[in-house]
Amino acid sequence: MNFLQQLINGLVLGHAYALLAVGWTVLLGVARLVNFGHGQIYMLCAFTTWFIVSRLGIPYPLAIVAAVAVGAAVGAIMQKIMMGLTLKQDLVRIMIVTLGFGYVLEGAAALFFGSSAQILETPLTAHDFYIKDLWFNGQDFAIIIMAMVFFVALKLIVENTQLGRLVRMVAEDPPLAQLAGINVRRVYIGVFAFEGAAVALAAALVAPRTPILTSMGFEEVIITFVVVVLGGIGSIAGSYVAGLLLGLFSAMFGWLADPSYTMTAAFCVLIAILAIRPGGFAAKRGGN
Amino acid sequence: MLFRGLLAALVVVAGFFLPRLLGGGGELYSAFVLIAIFAVMAYGLDLIVSDLGEVSLCHTVFFAVGAYTTALMSTGLGSGPIMTFLGASLASLCVAALIGLITLKLREFVFSLVTYALAVVAGTLAQHWSFLGGSDGLRGIPMLALSLGNFTLAAEGDEGIWLVAYVLLLLSLWIIHSFRRSTLGQAAIMVHLNPRLAIMSGIDPARTRLQVFLLSAPVTASAGWLYAYQRAYISADVLDPYFLILMLTAVVLVGKRMLLGPIIGVALILIQERFFSMGAYVDKIILGSVLIAVLVLQPNGLQGLFARYGRQSR
Repeated sequence: MNFLQQLINGLVLGHAYALLAVGWTVLLGVARLVNFGHGQIYMLCAFTTWFIVSRLGIPYPLAIVAAVAVGAAVGAIMQKIMMGLTLKQDLVRIMIVTLGFGYVLEGAAALFFGSSAQILETPLTAHDFYIKDLWFNGQDFAIIIMAMVFFVALKLIVENTQLGRLVRMVAEDPPLAQLAGINVRRVYIGVFAFEGAAVALAAALVAPRTPILTSMGFEEVIITFVVVVLGGIGSIAGSYVAGLLLGLFSAMFGWLADPSYTMTAAFCVLIAILAIRPGGFAAKRGGN
Repeated sequence: MLFRGLLAALVVVAGFFLPRLLGGGGELYSAFVLIAIFAVMAYGLDLIVSDLGEVSLCHTVFFAVGAYTTALMSTGLGSGPIMTFLGASLASLCVAALIGLITLKLREFVFSLVTYALAVVAGTLAQHWSFLGGSDGLRGIPMLALSLGNFTLAAEGDEGIWLVAYVLLLLSLWIIHSFRRSTLGQAAIMVHLNPRLAIMSGIDPARTRLQVFLLSAPVTASAGWLYAYQRAYISADVLDPYFLILMLTAVVLVGKRMLLGPIIGVALILIQERFFSMGAYVDKIILGSVLIAVLVLQPNGLQGLFARYGRQSR
């Protein structure tokens, strides 16, 4: 394992992290909401993809679409249930409620999919590419391409379209947006559905890299936190760069030190950032 | 005053004999012991949620620190229960001081986010660190036995542990009750409800928050102390999200700042899980749904529900 191989690993991991976190970035930046069930939606959609591909025998691209639909539906339902808290901007309660949702999803996933670890195999995981002694597979390639396309498309939509302007207006001033005749509830549901869909896309693409377990959601969230904080709240380009940096950091840390403590090291990075800019969270609203 | 004191004493004594009055038996005693332990665990969090108005998601860490310290000291050093109790409290204070200093400036969801991350990190540490037994955990924790001269009080089985669990529960109730009447308790509520007024009254919010945080840690850790003796082995399971969700639900279920709230909450949850279980996974769904339902439909907990019906019937 040489440096260049780790660099490739880091880049793949980085794009995976960025994709994993982008839903939170938009959710927090645009709607000033949090979702502690984020990791469990990731887990649920990873299992959904696995189930559709390996049990129903439906082709992988269709499974991705189905997983994204499931993620969006879960997000929309969550937001619909806690709409009252959202309109009051009761963040503390929203936080606990989303934790509760995560726990329910974990129980439900174990009930339907069983508690044993599964491996999600896709047509892409079987394709290995070699450049001299450097190795990566088709799935890695797909993660990088999809993440790049997703981020570019998202940035263009938020900055240049009617929809993007609408969402940014709600983020800047919800009561004013309501006065202007915007259906704020629908925007909140839409943003939460987007968060679910984005994490579902990440799950469908990234889950083939590791065994999937019903308990894995708990840890996925840390990566998301670090990326969102490092990138600056609500900054789409920022979270792309932050995801990439964290991916490279994780790959190098796992290579030079102990891979089982990567999560701990990532958390120390988070603490360091918070120590340097404790107000970083509240700094920007509206996000772009 | 005398009458109230007598009544309280009567309730306390009756409470101790409650499992026997209900028919005794190993299963019943084990349920009572766990209810007491988890209630003590939840009381630590109750101080933060009800009085400070913040949501700490790292109280499972204090629970684990209490349990692991007890396991390490009793198996490695051969310490008795009093020493392990002191050790667990001291260790949790140190950890709480560290976490408190890190999170001192953080509020609301950022505070929760960091404490949540801490719980996850603690989980991975406990899984991998060989000092803590790694994924195997620590085995062979001896029976809880207090020796005074020639007299030895051994808590054998759940029936024996019940006495200790009950005393621990009373102790934490007393701590919570005295805290709410103390200057610190009053300061905490003021910092929670009106931080500006608190500052004008000469209260330092950061200092108050740190003090309450430090007080809450040993309460939760003492539950971990007894849990280690009750289970006789400790593994990274003590950092399972289950304990976090259980604590949070118990604290919000009945209502904030209700002295008996957390114990009633824990009792309701454990009675469902132990005697009306529908399988581990469905129980998870139920517990999570209860947490969601309370916060979305009845933010003041069951207490608010009863208050409302009370008003309607009048």
